Amino acid sequence: MEGLIARAVSKTYRSQRGPVRALDNVDMTIAKGRLFGFLGRNGAGKTTFIKIATALLRPTSGSIQLFGIDVVDRPREIREQIALIPQEAKPFYQLTPREHVEEYLRVRGLSAETAKSRADEVLAAMGLETYQSVPAMVLSGGLQQRTLVAMILATEAPFLFLDEPTLGMDPFARRQVWEVVRRAARKGSTVLLTTHYLDEAEQLSEELAVIEGGHVLYQGVAEALKSKVRREVRLQFSGGFTAQELARYGDVYPDRAGLTLLTTRSAVEELTQRALERRVPVNVGPVTLEEAFLTLVGRAIEDEDAETPA
Amino acid sequence: MTWKTQAIAIFRICYFNGWLGLRRSPIAFIALFLTPLSFVFFLYVIAPRSVLPFGVVGGIMFSALFTGNAMMNDCAYLRLERQVQQIFITSPLRPMSWILGMALSELVFTVPGLVLFFAILPLVVPIGVLTMLALVGVVLLTWLMSTSLGFLLSTFFRQLREIWPIGMVVFTSLSVIPPVFYPIAEIPESFRWVAFLAPSTFASQLAVRAAGLSVPIVASAPFLSSVGFQVVGLVVLTGLFTIVSMRFARWREP
Repeated sequence: MEGLIARAVSKTYRSQRGPVRALDNVDMTIAKGRLFGFLGRNGAGKTTFIKIATALLRPTSGSIQLFGIDVVDRPREIREQIALIPQEAKPFYQLTPREHVEEYLRVRGLSAETAKSRADEVLAAMGLETYQSVPAMVLSGGLQQRTLVAMILATEAPFLFLDEPTLGMDPFARRQVWEVVRRAARKGSTVLLTTHYLDEAEQLSEELAVIEGGHVLYQGVAEALKSKVRREVRLQFSGGFTAQELARYGDVYPDRAGLTLLTTRSAVEELTQRALERRVPVNVGPVTLEEAFLTLVGRAIEDEDAETPA
Repeated sequence: MTWKTQAIAIFRICYFNGWLGLRRSPIAFIALFLTPLSFVFFLYVIAPRSVLPFGVVGGIMFSALFTGNAMMNDCAYLRLERQVQQIFITSPLRPMSWILGMALSELVFTVPGLVLFFAILPLVVPIGVLTMLALVGVVLLTWLMSTSLGFLLSTFFRQLREIWPIGMVVFTSLSVIPPVFYPIAEIPESFRWVAFLAPSTFASQLAVRAAGLSVPIVASAPFLSSVGFQVVGLVVLTGLFTIVSMRFARWREP
């Protein structure tokens, strides 16, 4: 059984400037137990999709099923299966991290003993033990965010929706969260994660989708995204080449030391040979997910601009 | 989740949002009864002694009605600013349980004021145990009605800045302008029916009656003065606000 199946999901918001189409015939499938990254610019439609999938919002058309249950028709059953961290959520100011975790688990119907033992486990894993009895109002933003993540991951819900869960966290804290998210997936939870940290998506996601302007541009593994945009290798030149000269091999942009070219594997040998002949230092490395994402979304924006009448 | 676990959830919400909130922010202890106490004090100073029992009953009703204002503020704040409402309603907790838990937690903040006014009441009007119980019943219905209304209003806000002016307009219109602190007899008889456009008038007239104070007949529409009409009116309004609130709790776009 699939974890999530979305078919032709559209959502149009009414606004003073006329209707705004936030999602346009979105099709998406997430396998059960998969850790799935959902990427897109601000306003691309990620949060709208999550709101529909968590029964917070009705789609204008189309359907979403979680574990075979229709979200619109059977929201009560859906809520038994899910837990959500909304984007930019903040904890109750008067409660401590331990109270957040324990009380939320009790509200979800777990016993006091289970709530306590899960709180012990998740607070330790998230590095919150020292702060477990400190009210959220005096915790830093990063610690407050960790509190929310702990609260949601402690549920061990079959489907976890994490909308930018590491926003505002330092690199150490982010890695702690990654580990706890991976552990949740190992225990069998399906995870839908949105993030603007592309390194995070690359580290965590077994599969990902890219959304832009309400359309899903890509769904698959990260490596295949790099192949799809035909940008697999990054070459960094410290002088010796002009941007025009390199442009026929791929995407060129200036950087601190000179020029960076994103290109295919097949161009690497020719270009490194020419750099050697010109005695120009060149660094060769794999294209990051962020670079592939920028290329894919950048092309979609260019296409849309080209179609828009002046 | 079973009914039992839903009930436990309601009391957990009441515990952490009400009791822990009150314990860690004790100023709230005074905030909710200071305004009605001030009104009673003014009545004590400037009005004839015969009006004072109406003032004390008004203090009780004001406290019950203002739980709606607190509910509106808290729910809008938790949805818009902290976004934790979304966390709770995307869980096995039913939307109705969330509303009831929040409503109970607001009652926790009101209890000190209610206790104070219930303690003062026998000093200004002779009152028996049964009368007290009837008054408690009216207070509970009023609390349910005003918190349902408060929750419903909270779902319409799109930003926090909208809350305070609407809260002031709605809950002042409900608790100060209608005959909550003064006898309905002060309104010219031909206009008394207008007071029943405010849901709080149903509650206040029942409370005044329960406290054994006189309720004048509205000659132009005698049914307005009957217990049956006032009870049915309060129950229907409470049910209406509760049902509409449940509906919005599910699908209202934040």
